[in-house]
Amino acid sequence: MHEALLIGTPNSGKSLLFNQLTGLNQKVANFPGITVDISSGPVMARPNVRLVDYPGIYSLHSISEEERVAIRAFRKALLQENLDAVLCILDSTRLEKGLHFALQVFRECQKNNKRMLLVANMKDVLLRNDMQLDIKGLSRSLGVEVLLLSAKSGEGIPELTAQLGNGINQSDQEGQLDFSGMSDFELRNLAHELAHKYGPSGDLLIRSQARLDAFFLNTWSGGLSFFVIMYLLFQSIFTWAAPVMDAVESSIRFIAGLVLPLLGATILHDFVKDALFEGIGAFLVFVPQIFVLTLVVGILEDSGYLARAAVICHKPLRFFGLTGKSFIPMLSGVACAIPGIYAARMVESPRKRWLTYMAIPLMPCSARLPVYTLLIAAFIPANQALGGLVGLQGLAMFLLYFFGVFVGLLVTALVSRTSPEHSHDMPFVLEMPPYRLPSWKPLLRNSWNRSKHFVTRAGTIICSVTIAVWFLGYFPNYGEDLGSSWLGTMGKLIEPLFAPLGLDWKYGVAVLSSFLAREVFVGTLGTLYGIEGAGEHISSLADKIQASGLSPASGVACLILFAVALQCVSTLTILYKETGSLRLPVQLFLGYGVLAYGIALIGYHLTALFV
Amino acid sequence: MRSHPDPAPEVPAKTLWDLAQDERCRIESFNSSLDEAYRVRLMELGFHPGEIVTCMYTPKLGAPRLYRVHNTVYSLDDDVAGMILISEAA
Repeated sequence: MHEALLIGTPNSGKSLLFNQLTGLNQKVANFPGITVDISSGPVMARPNVRLVDYPGIYSLHSISEEERVAIRAFRKALLQENLDAVLCILDSTRLEKGLHFALQVFRECQKNNKRMLLVANMKDVLLRNDMQLDIKGLSRSLGVEVLLLSAKSGEGIPELTAQLGNGINQSDQEGQLDFSGMSDFELRNLAHELAHKYGPSGDLLIRSQARLDAFFLNTWSGGLSFFVIMYLLFQSIFTWAAPVMDAVESSIRFIAGLVLPLLGATILHDFVKDALFEGIGAFLVFVPQIFVLTLVVGILEDSGYLARAAVICHKPLRFFGLTGKSFIPMLSGVACAIPGIYAARMVESPRKRWLTYMAIPLMPCSARLPVYTLLIAAFIPANQALGGLVGLQGLAMFLLYFFGVFVGLLVTALVSRTSPEHSHDMPFVLEMPPYRLPSWKPLLRNSWNRSKHFVTRAGTIICSVTIAVWFLGYFPNYGEDLGSSWLGTMGKLIEPLFAPLGLDWKYGVAVLSSFLAREVFVGTLGTLYGIEGAGEHISSLADKIQASGLSPASGVACLILFAVALQCVSTLTILYKETGSLRLPVQLFLGYGVLAYGIALIGYHLTALFV
Repeated sequence: MRSHPDPAPEVPAKTLWDLAQDERCRIESFNSSLDEAYRVRLMELGFHPGEIVTCMYTPKLGAPRLYRVHNTVYSLDDDVAGMILISEAA
């Protein structure tokens, strides 16, 4: 099978062209460096040609580990005998930037005797704005075939596919400039000269982009639009995804209602009910949220707004060692850490992405909400202050949310200032892509892929842990009494750990079971206090907790534990999958565990002094 | 007693960050403390000596600024823009 490589700078429309040629689901985004993985697939019109899509890079001189990996893979691919052609794509409205990179690619191709094609994208934009690109002149000067097309409209794509799968023709090399002997300096000068000679002139596009930038980056209009857009993003995660999440939950319940009666009163029944439908169902419920978030972030990327949002947020977040691009992942983390961790891919600097990963689990995610609601109901009086304007319980909830964000930023600030790589981080140089309407089809495909990715990549580990926790909670007494199960025994074993916080073994068991999902804490305590369906009867459970004599200081300690500790198997699994190493999840699990315990202990003693 | 002429007061080099909105400049060189790999990358993006750069927008509160090189606009923060030494464009 023949192979063709697709390579180009970010924002050249490379991934959209890949989609058009292969029909495969590939991320298309209007944000630098978004294509992280190398994708491949057969060309639809030429099934004997496999097209490989390389990540968008600005140069063959790397400045990050990811670029190094991509460039190494590209150079290795050039050695393959079945490599038919290298397609280097550029944005023809911004010729010089793409041409310099293309010449670097051509130099490598010539050294390896590989065929190259220059694909000048954005023909539709050129036509719409009455701009000209002299492809014949450019092709003649380079001695390389230049194809003008529009990846968006599909115009020119049949001509491109006709060029693939023909093998290397000797005539391809004839008349070519000798790039192999050119230095980088010479290549840059050549790109400059050719872009001025053959590229489109005029600055119509830049002027229209500047007008929108003046609005979106202005202190007032930009601030307001940023607030509105982020509010909509947040709403989309919380509100718009909710009906689909409810539908998933109802479907699982419906299937359970059909399957469970067939199983009778057996261990299998209990396993299917508790471990499969309830345990794994709890993780599947997040899939719509990931879909909606990926779609909305994709729209922001494709429209060009995300780069502007990064500019707005950069200065305040830089103080904490982060970058403007960390904002969206952190905001997503307020709904759920999992989509937030996925969204952190947009942070190109590995170090700042690492710091973003550290901050996300401390964002007050929605799974913490039931725990906060229960403990606030149990320990904070429902008093009103300032003539009913401020409710103490609402204030406590606000403070808890603020506390999570504060600790997250504090941690990243401390780590960024004390880590040795502090002075060697990537500089903030961000290309401002043009504003444009998103391409819906690839966005929907990408959202679907990301959701599927979550289920397939994280599913195995999450299922295993869910089954293990069910097993420990079910045996040896077959689910009769959680307190005397192996999980209950473990809770009693770790009781001395919780005793300094005034918490007994029940809380130990609840904390252990909350590894499945934090909200399971409420259900477990409900079971231990003998309240069925505790999630729906929080006030009854809160009364029981109060009546058990648990002190407010212990309540505060428990709240702090949940605000800081990283006891969420899904988050840990996704961190492991995204970083490709156990290092960060293990470090965060232990580090945040110790930090949570330390702050909880301080909180416990301080509260005990005053209450 | 020897007399020395007073040395001319050293004028600090102007950097890209000093450029006001809508102003143009010519890139002269880079601060020597800028990492070689980043210097090469900036040049590959178009910020090479002799090139004309226009400051497109200067958001308030110290946010990164927008600079145009050819037909591409980049946002640079003060850490990077402060490393690019400029002179007035003819």
